[in-house]
Amino acid sequence: MNPITPIINGMSITFKHMFLKPVTLQYPTERPKVAARYRGLQGLKVSHDKAKCVACYLCPTVCPAKCITVEAAEDANHDKYASKYEIDLLRCIFCGYCVEACPVDALKMTSEFELASYSRKDFIYSKERLLEKQ
Amino acid sequence: MVNLTINDKQVTAPKDCTIYEAAKLNGIKIPILCHDKKLKPFGACRMCLVEVEQMKGRQIPSCTTPATEGMIIRTDTPEIIKARKLVLELLLLNHPLDCPVCDKGGDCDLQNLTYDYQVDSNRFVDSKFQHEIDYNNPLIERDMNRCVLCGKCVRICDEIVAFGALTFIDRGIETKIGCDFEKPLDCEFCGSCVSVCPVGALLARPFKHKARFWALTNHNSVCGYCGTGCNLTLGVKDNKVLTTVYNENQGFHKGQLCVRGRFGYQFINSENRLTTPLIRKNGRLTEATWDEALEIVATRLKGGNSVAALATPRLANEELTLFKKMMLDNIGSKNFDNSAGYAHAALTEGFVRSFGSAASSASILDIQKSDLLLVVKTDTYETHPVIGFEINMGVKNKGIKLNILSDKRGKLSKLPGANTQVHIPGAEVAVLNALCNSIIDQKLADDSAVSLPGYPELVKALAGFTPETVAATSGITAESINKLAADYASAEKALILFPTGLGYAGHTADLATAVANLAILTGKFGKEGCGVLCLSEKNNSQGAVDMGFYPREGGMNALQILDACTSGTVKTLLVAGENPLTSYPDNAKVKAALDAVEFLIVSDLFLTETAELADIVLPACSFAEKEGTYTSTDRRVQYVKPAINKIGKSKSDFEIISSLIAKMGGTPPVTPAVQFAEISANTPGYESMTYATLGNEGAFAPVSINPVFVVPVAAQITAAQGKLALVTGSVLYHNGTLSQHGEGPVHVCPDAYVEMSRADAISSSINDNDLVTVSSSSGSLQLKAKVSLRIPEGVVFIPYHFPAAPVNKIWSGSAVTMVSLSK
Repeated sequence: MNPITPIINGMSITFKHMFLKPVTLQYPTERPKVAARYRGLQGLKVSHDKAKCVACYLCPTVCPAKCITVEAAEDANHDKYASKYEIDLLRCIFCGYCVEACPVDALKMTSEFELASYSRKDFIYSKERLLEKQ
Repeated sequence: MVNLTINDKQVTAPKDCTIYEAAKLNGIKIPILCHDKKLKPFGACRMCLVEVEQMKGRQIPSCTTPATEGMIIRTDTPEIIKARKLVLELLLLNHPLDCPVCDKGGDCDLQNLTYDYQVDSNRFVDSKFQHEIDYNNPLIERDMNRCVLCGKCVRICDEIVAFGALTFIDRGIETKIGCDFEKPLDCEFCGSCVSVCPVGALLARPFKHKARFWALTNHNSVCGYCGTGCNLTLGVKDNKVLTTVYNENQGFHKGQLCVRGRFGYQFINSENRLTTPLIRKNGRLTEATWDEALEIVATRLKGGNSVAALATPRLANEELTLFKKMMLDNIGSKNFDNSAGYAHAALTEGFVRSFGSAASSASILDIQKSDLLLVVKTDTYETHPVIGFEINMGVKNKGIKLNILSDKRGKLSKLPGANTQVHIPGAEVAVLNALCNSIIDQKLADDSAVSLPGYPELVKALAGFTPETVAATSGITAESINKLAADYASAEKALILFPTGLGYAGHTADLATAVANLAILTGKFGKEGCGVLCLSEKNNSQGAVDMGFYPREGGMNALQILDACTSGTVKTLLVAGENPLTSYPDNAKVKAALDAVEFLIVSDLFLTETAELADIVLPACSFAEKEGTYTSTDRRVQYVKPAINKIGKSKSDFEIISSLIAKMGGTPPVTPAVQFAEISANTPGYESMTYATLGNEGAFAPVSINPVFVVPVAAQITAAQGKLALVTGSVLYHNGTLSQHGEGPVHVCPDAYVEMSRADAISSSINDNDLVTVSSSSGSLQLKAKVSLRIPEGVVFIPYHFPAAPVNKIWSGSAVTMVSLSK
């Protein structure tokens, strides 16, 4: 084969791509479209102005990374609720088992993926931070 | 034994068992909701249906059908499975599906069966129950919406606890479990119903929402309260004891516990626990390091005979022997004692004289093997509730005769056929002497008795105790005394029970010898179902006696030590776990002694009233945090392992004493196991015991008996006009002063009270809950009044556990104190 041919082939591909839609994203000015079933940061769902979570402890039980801490308590109506619900994102592997295990559909995986932070303690997401934003 | 075939497997089973038990014995699992090992067959749930070929293949409940020879049984045919699924469907029709919020989730029989049988849909439609849930009870939460009507709670409360708080009320679809007239639950809160409930209808409120069952690590342990030595399973999560877990295979009592054992565990993780050593600086206790504290303590302990020690019999055997060794070898003092001295005198003086051995010659297992029980001066339901359950089961299931000789009535008196003789407080030894007299008179004494040493002296001494003369001063008729004597002597096997403890000042060596005489006279000792069982108060009271942690060869006893503190002979006092200010007699004297002593060192779990006076307080740790052995009242030696890590900077008494020995130049043992090897080498009965051989069950230390008749001294009672006899003792919900730190007991019985008869209440115009001033020659105390039917006229009862109202302000240790009441 002529040694020039591969270079021409290569250059032609490069040249062709100059007219195609770019595959890279100009993040952060451009935002990616996250798939509907993307597993990002967990969120606690809200119903009737309070968290749906009943602190059944199934998510900490099923969690393979042991990153969820739940503490249950009794409210004024003697209902069980999570007085503490924490996810340590440094340990979370975003497997989504917690969502699958939840018997009351109180947990979901949001599309939020920008989870970087400067200090370790900021990776511990408390109940307030996880609650679904209205 | 009978031979039967279950699922094509040839099996054998004992003659008296049901099909269910036969299957279980042979490892074949039959699902069931309404069965418990301890309870009689009931047949409520219809889950355990099996087919028996001889019964034309009909489906019969295996839990109520006796296994007979040659039965061919199938437990898992498609028809049976269909029937079981139907039962589950019908149960789930009304049972709320609130597993996520139900604390029983994970440990629920119904949940497990639903999963096993894959009942994921229901062919029927009905509404759920709307019963009101009892959230108000501090210990037991009742949610009858979840109930499956297995009746276990009703049966355990009736058959074993003998309280009968719960029953089936209403009929048909409306049936539910409740109290009489649908009143709130007001029982003794032993929690037995909670332990057997197969669903979440009855739950332990202190454990509510604390953790899931699967998150708990179970640790076998031994209860740290009374001397019964019940086995306990502690449910631990994150280094916290969160609950006690029921295990029907545990101990002689098969997992059965009382309110203290089941609900009194909170002291272990109490926020009030001491976590660091405290040293008094400028009059205030301030935090310090262990090194600093131990250095001072070790210097102070180098005082020979001017050093004395008081230890609680809640310490393990290893700690007590090491403590004793330190006192004798490193300090050079013989002044050490436990339990105010008198609480162990029945054993160390009474039994030593009569039986030649400081231990009871019977075990708790003898209760059910006996024909007659004579319970002296106790309501075991109150002092040792689990022994009370044993007595109840013996009386109800085996027809054991029950005779009670006491200064007040109790729950035992309510058992069927119980013969209760109430005597005037202080007359117990005279009555027991009269019983002996009557036995000799009626020629019912055992032939062997005549030849035993001391017999002639006893006969001579008993001359003054004819039933007629004693009847005049004891409040029991001569007829009853004669009948009681004849009953006891003619029973083939008879067992006597009596308690000792800090609250029972009258239970002296003389009471022990009087009781022993009765047993020796009739030859009722050293045999199965016979003997005398001295019920010790604390979990290791018997151990403290076995280890010799009491003064011998010229040492001072507890009360003499306190006197010596006041006089200045004792300069350093080391108190381990005791709280003399509340529990020893004569508050003023104890206070004066603790104030006067030059240097007071207290090691305890809590900053008790006594610790507040100390110069140095060392934080000790509880039974759940240490390794060691405890000896129960019937000399069962049981081994406990730590269930949690030590709280804060606390150390076990073993470690504290070891470091002190090291600081004083000695060589302490490396581990409790090494110390136990020394115990088993030196303690009679403990030979060949090691931690490995003790295992989970423990082992009995045998007792050798050498009977001798000893003449007991009967107390002289002087009745004062218009005054009442004060009887002190312990109350069901508490044990010593430790249970004051357990939330459960405190919820049910928070304060001291004075219990009196209705007649006395009327004559002093006192109503229930009135604030009454009780005064004696040594002081006065304000207490809430409790009018009850069980107390005889002329007697008042005050429990001793409460630091806020210590009975020792009006009681100075005499068996009977005369008091007056005023509003």
